[in-house]
Amino acid sequence: MSGIDPFTPKGMLHSCWSAQVNDYAIVCGWNHTGQKFLVGGSAGGLYAFDGHSGTSIWEKEDIHDGGLLSMSICTERDIFATSGQDGFVRLWDFDKANEIKSIKIGNGWVEHLKWSPNGELLAVACSRNVYVLNTKGIEIWKSDCHPSTVSAIAWSNNDELATACYGRVSFFDINNNVLNQKLEWQGSLVSMELSPNGDIVACGSQDNSVHFWRRTTGDDAEMTGYPGKPSNLSFDSSGTLLATGGSPTVTVWSFHGDGPEGTIPGELGHHLEPVTSLSFSNKDLLLASGSRDGSVVVSFLKNNGDGDPVGAAFAGDNVSAISWKPDDTALAAVNAKGKVYVWKFEVRTED
Amino acid sequence: MSGNQKIPVTILTGFLGSGKTTLLNRILSEEHGKRIAVIENEYGEVGIDQGLVINADEEVFEMSNGCICCTVRGDLIRVLGNLMKRRDKFDYVLVETTGLADPGPVAQTFFMDEEISSEFTLDGIVTLVDAGHIDQQLGRSDESSEQVAFADVLVLNKTDLVSKDALNNLESRLREMNRMTRIIRAEQAKVPIDTVLNLSAFDLDQVLKRRPTFLEPEYPFEWTGVFKVEPGTYELILEEGPDPEMSLVAFYDQGTNEESLKDGAENSVRLYAEDAEILQPENIIPFNKHISLQLQDKGSKKFILEINKPSNIGLFTQHTAEEFDMKLILPSKERDTNEIIDSSAERTWVAEHEHDDEVGSIAIERLGDVDPEKLNSWMGKLLSEKGVDIFRTKGFISYLGNPNRIVFQGVHMLFTAQPDKEWGNEPRRNQLVFIGRNLDEEQMQKDFDKCLV
Repeated sequence: MSGIDPFTPKGMLHSCWSAQVNDYAIVCGWNHTGQKFLVGGSAGGLYAFDGHSGTSIWEKEDIHDGGLLSMSICTERDIFATSGQDGFVRLWDFDKANEIKSIKIGNGWVEHLKWSPNGELLAVACSRNVYVLNTKGIEIWKSDCHPSTVSAIAWSNNDELATACYGRVSFFDINNNVLNQKLEWQGSLVSMELSPNGDIVACGSQDNSVHFWRRTTGDDAEMTGYPGKPSNLSFDSSGTLLATGGSPTVTVWSFHGDGPEGTIPGELGHHLEPVTSLSFSNKDLLLASGSRDGSVVVSFLKNNGDGDPVGAAFAGDNVSAISWKPDDTALAAVNAKGKVYVWKFEVRTED
Repeated sequence: MSGNQKIPVTILTGFLGSGKTTLLNRILSEEHGKRIAVIENEYGEVGIDQGLVINADEEVFEMSNGCICCTVRGDLIRVLGNLMKRRDKFDYVLVETTGLADPGPVAQTFFMDEEISSEFTLDGIVTLVDAGHIDQQLGRSDESSEQVAFADVLVLNKTDLVSKDALNNLESRLREMNRMTRIIRAEQAKVPIDTVLNLSAFDLDQVLKRRPTFLEPEYPFEWTGVFKVEPGTYELILEEGPDPEMSLVAFYDQGTNEESLKDGAENSVRLYAEDAEILQPENIIPFNKHISLQLQDKGSKKFILEINKPSNIGLFTQHTAEEFDMKLILPSKERDTNEIIDSSAERTWVAEHEHDDEVGSIAIERLGDVDPEKLNSWMGKLLSEKGVDIFRTKGFISYLGNPNRIVFQGVHMLFTAQPDKEWGNEPRRNQLVFIGRNLDEEQMQKDFDKCLV
């Protein structure tokens, strides 16, 4: 066998547990300790599992009339929030699934929820308005009406909230009710991610491009050439790499050095059908990607955005969400048929 | 998710008050076995009775490139994106747009957005018009003519409130604007459900199967009747009708099969091009001549046909026989009765009308093959220059050297060409229809002819 280098996998996805929920699973996530895992279905079912064994802890059906639209798990305490087509936001305690508070936001769909980094505030987007609630469900701030339906929200820090809609990204100082910054671009922004330090704003656009701004300099750039709209974006924890979907290939832009303007992005061509979910690990440059074809791949990336796969698994059907355990020792994926998969992720170092 | 049956979507357009919600309720209450989700942009005076109803404000999203064919409906992308995860709940989607909606971005959403087009298919655009008001609306707003131009089916509603003559005129006007559409007359939006749902109107192959010649040349006459007659003096009786005069051409020895009828039509077209001879009632109708029957008098009018040999005579008339309750009779002196001669064949033709609307249809029909490269460069140029004004394009083409028919389908500048069935023994030909605003028919025909091999 001379001349052939034996393949030495550097990391692996090992089957840990799997489960089945009753309907199209649209969201999933771990509680802040990683001991519990939560799945939400489009019809309004919620399913909590023991993170180690996959044993069901509790489940609830029909928590939102018309269906569930969003879920956000608090990163600091054992609570989470859900929202749906019924115009309600509900706050729950993770342990027993007791409803802490139910808040009627409006008549429209409540499509986006996001906890602030310190877990004190919950941002809520419903139609053209954005609201901020505290952990008791009391409204402490409300935006003016946006020019179109708010398509994404993100916290740049514990006090500043970013909103995206058609044609603009806005930054609001929640405590002082001040519009800090408005970035404009004539296009339908369908997704938004902020770099961890909050300086870079990246938005996927309906016209199959990624637009980004550097807040400190005001510079902006447009990355075109995507075959589809980049609905999925993920920054790594250092803010060096931005992974983008919009096609079967994951395109990774590197902000290392003078990039990404004028640089060639890394391309990860491990899926056959368009990417449906992207998530960097909580530490290091490990990127998990899920696809409409049911494949889940973890790639180890370099500073320039290139990378190699270090583990892959098949999740059966259209992967709708993926989530790293807070300590990155496991990866979970849920799919359109309600299947839940959890894999242990073991990074092996070379001897 | 590949391999899944795509969910059909029907778009319902029409001005406020045209009866959209009535039709919607009719569809929802009918036993059709479909579970229908309704996306409603307009909160009309009538509520929707049942079913999964989602209200969404119309959001038209233009792109930074300024290209109108990239303009999509953000609300539909959002709502359909969520609905696709609830496929257990429904298997059909109806979108009711506002009265002022531009159908372009609605239709384009199903072609431009990959996530939507992978799960949904645009089944058809149904436009309701209020027969009593559409005439004024067409004059006043671009939206209403665009809604007519985009329609696969036009429901001419509230016909009970309008005279038959006015309806006929209106139908001619609408047909002139959109020659691909199917026009259905209705009272209180009562139409058979299968005329508005499951049309596969954007699947040109299906459309052509149902209507193999969805395009027909325009003729200056609407109707042909063939009558078997013996020698004698016959009378052509006409009652009061929509026009004070009517052109007519009569032939001896008119065949009754389709081919002979078309030959007769071609001969008539030539005669119709000549000036008409004015003919007052009670006079004899000459054969092989373009004549204009004068019908200004009240009540029945009669014209004489002198038949000198046993024959099948063909009458090519500007309007249909029905419109004047036209009859051919053989008066009998002995018995003092009239024998009504039944036609042995009848044929209606697509009539040509005055071009008085900005929005209209242009049809190109040519035998033979086209050079694919020449055609592509012409179409590319045409759509880039006139794409804004061309609402829809449909047709099929014969590419030189290609055994298959190529079907075309377009919305503004978005365009697809796909190979369809093999030509086999069928004569190779091309048919294209463009529906748009201020199109130069002569120039387009000329340019197309340059693409022919």
